[in-house]
Amino acid sequence: MRQFGKLTRRLFIKGGIWSTALFFWNLFRGLTKAEATDSFSGTDFVGKTREGKHRSFYINFWKPMRRINGKTWTLKISGLCESPTTFTLTDLKNLPAQSQSSRLKCVECWSARAEWRGFSIKELEKVIRPHASARGVVFHCGDEYKEYLSREALTQDRVLLVHSMNGKLLSDAHGFPLRLIAPSKYGYKNPKAILEMEYVAEQQSGTWSKIGPYSPDGTILPGGDHPLEYDKQPRRISGGEIPY
Amino acid sequence: MNTVALFISLILVSGLNIADVSEMVEVPAGEVVMGDNADDYASPKKTAVLGTFFIDRFEVTNEEFRQQFSDHTFWEGFEPHPVTNITWYQAETYCEQVGKRLPTEEEWEKSARGTDARLYPWGNKPLRKKPHPFYSGIIKRRVGLNKKDSSPYGVRDMASSVWEWTASSENKKKVTRGGLWNHHLDYEYGKTFDRNLIAPSERFIFLGFRCVNSEN
Repeated sequence: MRQFGKLTRRLFIKGGIWSTALFFWNLFRGLTKAEATDSFSGTDFVGKTREGKHRSFYINFWKPMRRINGKTWTLKISGLCESPTTFTLTDLKNLPAQSQSSRLKCVECWSARAEWRGFSIKELEKVIRPHASARGVVFHCGDEYKEYLSREALTQDRVLLVHSMNGKLLSDAHGFPLRLIAPSKYGYKNPKAILEMEYVAEQQSGTWSKIGPYSPDGTILPGGDHPLEYDKQPRRISGGEIPY
Repeated sequence: MNTVALFISLILVSGLNIADVSEMVEVPAGEVVMGDNADDYASPKKTAVLGTFFIDRFEVTNEEFRQQFSDHTFWEGFEPHPVTNITWYQAETYCEQVGKRLPTEEEWEKSARGTDARLYPWGNKPLRKKPHPFYSGIIKRRVGLNKKDSSPYGVRDMASSVWEWTASSENKKKVTRGGLWNHHLDYEYGKTFDRNLIAPSERFIFLGFRCVNSEN
């Protein structure tokens, strides 16, 4: 009984040591894995603002969002494509880049112009090779915003996935590290802080057009504009991309 | 049962109403007041003299366009909606193929405005203050659905529905005329003198056309 007791005690101690070691090993692995897959960092949030430097270019977010960590962030391409791929920010910055000056017009009437630098979605599609059945892409964003654009709209000449704005990497407020710029569409069709692009067969409603008064198409309509750099003085627009 | 029969009858009658969407109406020769001095884009106000012409009562529909271009695709049920997303060149080709042409902006404005310089095809006041309040996008419906959007000559959908290509040019762009059902945060129908300039190679969801002819 004593022998049995000693054996039990020894086994208990050994088992305890191994269990503790295993616990800390798993905890370490878990933390490492979590850190590797978490695109966000810290508890610092970015959200909607029109204050300070943003008075010249308003910022809208669906929900306040933890700041994205560029070192751990990846762009996931999923859905109807031959080679679903995950790109790092470095991968994307190495794609053939182009720059353009274009105006972002919010459906709430204000607009602002910037110099954008990025790449055509056609460059990504050379790698991931979408299926013929893929009619469009759902963008999943860091602020839980979702938006859909048809591939026809996404492959227009002036539509870019951009990582830079006015000569610098996108700021958190402007959608770091990657956003879409589609100059002929209202701002809500230009998703920011993109985490995933999902190729889909059917048209879908984005966050705003699903719950709000915004059309799924989102083309800028003929009417009026209130550009921020011109003190919001109203200007007539013909529809589509704004030329001034 | 009677209710069902009545409902079916209404659908059939409605169908008959839209059966002849290619009907043309005569706009008699004479003067037309064009433009508006209060609008920078449509000033100065001026007078033009036009001969008699005939204009499509309704905008060209998806179904009509498909009869000329078999590869034209659209969602099921959208056959009687105005055709959009077509370039000026496609609109011009369509008109030629059916033996017609695109209207000049003078012809378009006279068809909408009549001879009394009215602001809207039906008169001088908006039908409603908020055609589609709080909605940002275009709501396309079958042509001729809004019976109140009718000009002095009976031409329909000239203040709402979609904008339309014309044959007229300015600064290498084509003049578009018309209006939409809804302007987000700008609750107005298009006025009879509203005009925009768009490159002929562009195509938009809000832009269609109708045809005219000098003879019926």
